[in-house]
Amino acid sequence: MDLLVNTVSTISILAIPALILFIVIYGAIKKVKIYESFVEGAKEGFNVGVRIIPYLVAMLVAIGIFRAGGAMELLARIIYPITNLIGMPAEALPMAIIRPLSGSGALGIMSEIIKTHGPDSLIARMVSVMMGSGETTFYVLAIYFGSVNITKTRQAVPAGIIADIVGILMSVWLVNLIFN
Amino acid sequence: MLNYIWASLIVIGILVAVWSDWHEISTNKYHNGEEYPITLKLEDTSVLPLQKSFSYGCTVFIDDVSGMSQHANLIPSDGNHGILRIFVDENTPPLWREIFTAQKRSDYLLAHIRWDGDSANSLSAKMKFEPVKFVHLNAVTNDGIIKYAKIAVELAIGLIGIMALWLGVMKIAEQSGLVAKIAGFLKPVMTRLFPDVPADHPAIGSMIMNISANILGLANAATPLGLKAMEELNKLNKKLGTATDAMCTFLVINTSNVQLIPATVIAIRAAAGSSNPTEILGPVIVATTVSTVVGVITVKLLARMQIFKKELS
Repeated sequence: MDLLVNTVSTISILAIPALILFIVIYGAIKKVKIYESFVEGAKEGFNVGVRIIPYLVAMLVAIGIFRAGGAMELLARIIYPITNLIGMPAEALPMAIIRPLSGSGALGIMSEIIKTHGPDSLIARMVSVMMGSGETTFYVLAIYFGSVNITKTRQAVPAGIIADIVGILMSVWLVNLIFN
Repeated sequence: MLNYIWASLIVIGILVAVWSDWHEISTNKYHNGEEYPITLKLEDTSVLPLQKSFSYGCTVFIDDVSGMSQHANLIPSDGNHGILRIFVDENTPPLWREIFTAQKRSDYLLAHIRWDGDSANSLSAKMKFEPVKFVHLNAVTNDGIIKYAKIAVELAIGLIGIMALWLGVMKIAEQSGLVAKIAGFLKPVMTRLFPDVPADHPAIGSMIMNISANILGLANAATPLGLKAMEELNKLNKKLGTATDAMCTFLVINTSNVQLIPATVIAIRAAAGSSNPTEILGPVIVATTVSTVVGVITVKLLARMQIFKKELS
């Protein structure tokens, strides 16, 4: 495990400088006017940033309302009897709900659980796996589709949600299987 | 579907807040209007008589609870009235703490008091907390709506610099033919995943780079490369504003998280003193792989359904 972590983290550190270096040198060899090309491409950066603003505001405000009003706690209380059956502790449920909605919110819940229950408790391991294997689905949907002005998202949303649910269920099952 | 989810988040969020507030008001959770008999002892008795609008350090004793005291500042107003700023500490009772949290003052609990006559160094008085109402609806407005609208713009603006960088770098890679070359490496996989994207299209190269950056956990590079790929995919889109099958598949790969090493999670576990911070790695890799595979299969199956098909035509 440690070997894998070390290898991947070394590659991660080297990746960006190495990639930029390689692309620039390759471009120069292929006689591309690298500086001019770079600037030409980079011009779009501002437009993309501005283009995603309305989509991001719409998505984040809706998620903000849902979180701030206490709806998450209520939802957790309603579906608790079901999740209890599959071996998910009540404290881990808010994590499962928040993971696709808010990255910072999920990180906060994970840190809180690790602090209260200790990092090597079953529930802390479970939320760590949920955190590591999940993604902020709705943020990704908002900016990726927003950047090309797409509002009709077709099968992306249901498939994304199903993948999220599978990820959560797998986390619960695997953690119970390995650590319990 | 996004329409329904969006509406549900807003409607459920606000209705739950209204219901919670109504519940708290009807059960008077915060004991609004309750009067507490208290005794105030000034820290410095040489300041008497009290003057309006000055602030006096004092200790508050609650008459009904023996042995409980709180530090506070007394700010007298007209007559025998004034306000009390109580500093919350470890002695503060739970209900008061809740009122403190709900009042949202930075470091004190606000109460109104009136006392009977100026006495030497202690005042016996009646104290009422500033009433607390609509905690959840206030939270929705301030912590939900206003805060998140601001965060959204900050996130988008924060993306501009790194976005410009990668779009610039990608332009060089594109014009030098590198993107097309990268696309060639994984041709068999990519043509299967994205059958309606030509194998030599620049979108393929961008998608490969985005997925690689995601696997390595390079969020700063992955998002700009992903947005670049979306732009390329959109060039193949015959119905602007509607997602193509390729876009949906690409999105699901991104939302199901293909990251190999969750560096943040491991760092937090290590900082919390875990005996083996990386022990979660095995289940993370399995869970994320299974969810990605299921996601891709689902998105492919759903693409065949009439209800999603007809949106394209």
